[in-house]
Amino acid sequence: MNRRNFAAGALALAVLPMLAACSGGATTLDTPASAPGSAAAGDSAIVIGTANFSENQILGYLYADVLKGAGLTVTVKPNLGSREIVVPALQNGDIDLLPEYQGSLLLYLDPKATESDSDALQKALTAKLPQGLAVLPPSAAEDADVFTVTKESAAKYGLSTLADLAKHNGKLVFGGPAEDKTRQIGLVGLKEVYGAEFKAFKSLDASGPLVKGALKSGDVDVANLFSTDADIVKNGWVMLTDPKHLIPAQRIVPLIRTGKATETVKTALAKLNTALTTEELSKLDALVDVEHQDPDTVAAEWSKAHGLSG
Amino acid sequence: MIDLLSQLAAWLTSSGQWAGPEGIAQRLLEHVQYSFLSTIVAALIALPIGLFIGHTGRGAFFAINISGFGRALPTVGVVTLVFLASGLSMTPVYVSLIALAIPVIVTNTYAGMIAIEADTKDAARGMGMTGLQSLWRVEIPLAAPLIMTGLRLAAVQVISTATIAAYVSFGGLGRYIFDGLAQRDLTQVLGGAVLVAGLAVTVDLILAGVNRVLFRHRLT
Amino acid sequence: MTIEWQWLSTHTDDLWALSLDHLSTAIPAVLLGLLIALPLAVVAHRIRPLRGVLLGLSNIMFTVPSLALFVILLPITGLTRTTAITGLTIYTLVVLLRNTVEGLDSVPAKVREASLAMGRGRVGTLLKVELPLALPVIMAGVRVASVMTISLVSVASYIGYGGIGQLFTDGFQRNFPTPVIAGVVLTLLLALAADALLVLVQWLCTPWIRKGARA
Repeated sequence: MNRRNFAAGALALAVLPMLAACSGGATTLDTPASAPGSAAAGDSAIVIGTANFSENQILGYLYADVLKGAGLTVTVKPNLGSREIVVPALQNGDIDLLPEYQGSLLLYLDPKATESDSDALQKALTAKLPQGLAVLPPSAAEDADVFTVTKESAAKYGLSTLADLAKHNGKLVFGGPAEDKTRQIGLVGLKEVYGAEFKAFKSLDASGPLVKGALKSGDVDVANLFSTDADIVKNGWVMLTDPKHLIPAQRIVPLIRTGKATETVKTALAKLNTALTTEELSKLDALVDVEHQDPDTVAAEWSKAHGLSG
Repeated sequence: MIDLLSQLAAWLTSSGQWAGPEGIAQRLLEHVQYSFLSTIVAALIALPIGLFIGHTGRGAFFAINISGFGRALPTVGVVTLVFLASGLSMTPVYVSLIALAIPVIVTNTYAGMIAIEADTKDAARGMGMTGLQSLWRVEIPLAAPLIMTGLRLAAVQVISTATIAAYVSFGGLGRYIFDGLAQRDLTQVLGGAVLVAGLAVTVDLILAGVNRVLFRHRLT
Repeated sequence: MTIEWQWLSTHTDDLWALSLDHLSTAIPAVLLGLLIALPLAVVAHRIRPLRGVLLGLSNIMFTVPSLALFVILLPITGLTRTTAITGLTIYTLVVLLRNTVEGLDSVPAKVREASLAMGRGRVGTLLKVELPLALPVIMAGVRVASVMTISLVSVASYIGYGGIGQLFTDGFQRNFPTPVIAGVVLTLLLALAADALLVLVQWLCTPWIRKGARA
């Protein structure tokens, strides 16, 4: 391509905004609630979406199994992307139901939220959710954020609670997802509640291979992981306790479009929510993450064994 | 849309945004560093291959088809695979960018070499040049414009793909795209995209200019 | 790094389904790209001042990182396959537009004039004479665009429509190389198959070239 082509193209690009100005449009990733696409299919059909990590897919398939058992027509769209992509899709009507986590969902809706126990979270969620969306009662199972160190670091620095971090201010490196830099479960809360400050922050992923790799290699000293992650036990990592309740409860809640929350759906999901404990969920996670089984198979076997798939 | 564009303009022009260890200047520098290093290493590998095939005529099938192979190779897959094999380092990023750049350079170098007429090569031999002398003094200078084109295409592709470094936790302009997504900040995503495209177009124009100055005397 | 062959043998159905999913994003993108590129190329070929603008614009769009493009399209087209297809279509234009314009350029002016003189209208000349003669160059563009698109679909797994690309995120999350290797190999195979198929299509569509070659 020659220079003239690019120059002419650049000129055209400069003109485009003027044309676009006439059309109006969005400035954030949130799509406005529009005509529900899938609702037209009737109340007995439901589309379940899941985020792009295995536990969320297992939960999505568990939802699907119990709802099928209750006689609904269910479609699962697994692996749709991160929360930032999936929640707007729910608002938009591309999907109807999504397995979510109390604390993270609230912080997504309101980054300044400080509620930490499950009941308060549930109340705050109901208040903060945009119209058309609702959370159903939470499951017994929880997958909370945990701040984790290696066994060696725990011994070397004498770390067992989050309060111990303040003894080493300015010495340790913290690793977690990009959001941890600016939100309460992360640098902000650790400083406010425990007076802990770090040498550096590394933007990695949410209990994924990057942050776990960095913890293993010593690139970070403290890592934000999820409590059900099988790698914590496997590697003998130490979860720092949280005596001042900084970390919010992360019990699993169904996030649903209100139009789809019929009694049948509520009853079926409530049964699942009672049966599914943290211990059971961790086992299912390990089957997928460590044994490399498929999320749908693992979910189907579990719901069948617990008499939930009808 | 107009809001988004004015926010984008504000983001791109705010001096606070450009400074500091996470500022645009630093990210731009990292992006240039990743791209430059990858393109140079790819050239060091690809040029000898392209020249050898073009000069000897052996392996022509390889030279023609490797660019298709390069286009078909999914960069995200390569990065993931090398990451799983080698762990958290810049290696996955460099390997995938170099793999992306090599085929384009090989194919264009080869194309430049075979465009040279047989008469010209014969004449060089007739003047008593050895194979290497003919390659160095006659063939490479004649093939140079097309070789440069290959380097240019490779550089542009590498620049727009180097955002992948942020996928495995490293820097560069891709940070704005991945972090903007995580922080639900479309302005930041758009800002990153505009900077990458701007860098790619600028580098392309510079290399095209260099090409023109160097080979101005050519009639082609 | 080892391959779990067991996983491969129990997941052939999934691999097949993902490949079909992959193609149902890639094929519409290339077809749509062609549908847009053909009329634009005719315009660029006929109206000289517009040529630079159109080709330049498609070049610039090509340098926008694909993930960013998908994310930017999200608020407009939602979390749907349309978003993935739209993004990929934009990337095909750089090749399709350039090759179609070059293809039309390659038709000698005399041929065009002769056709007009014979009483074929401008549209008739375009459809019956110019486009068929430009076909080899256009098809070369379609081949490049198809291979490129098949490789690029993976990036759309960030918005849930990545087809085979799902295997990359999955393997990444679970520290599990087997799906990733399978994904890379499958992508290469699909690209190769698409390319071979297009060569065949071109051979069937241009009987005059075959005759010429034999003569």
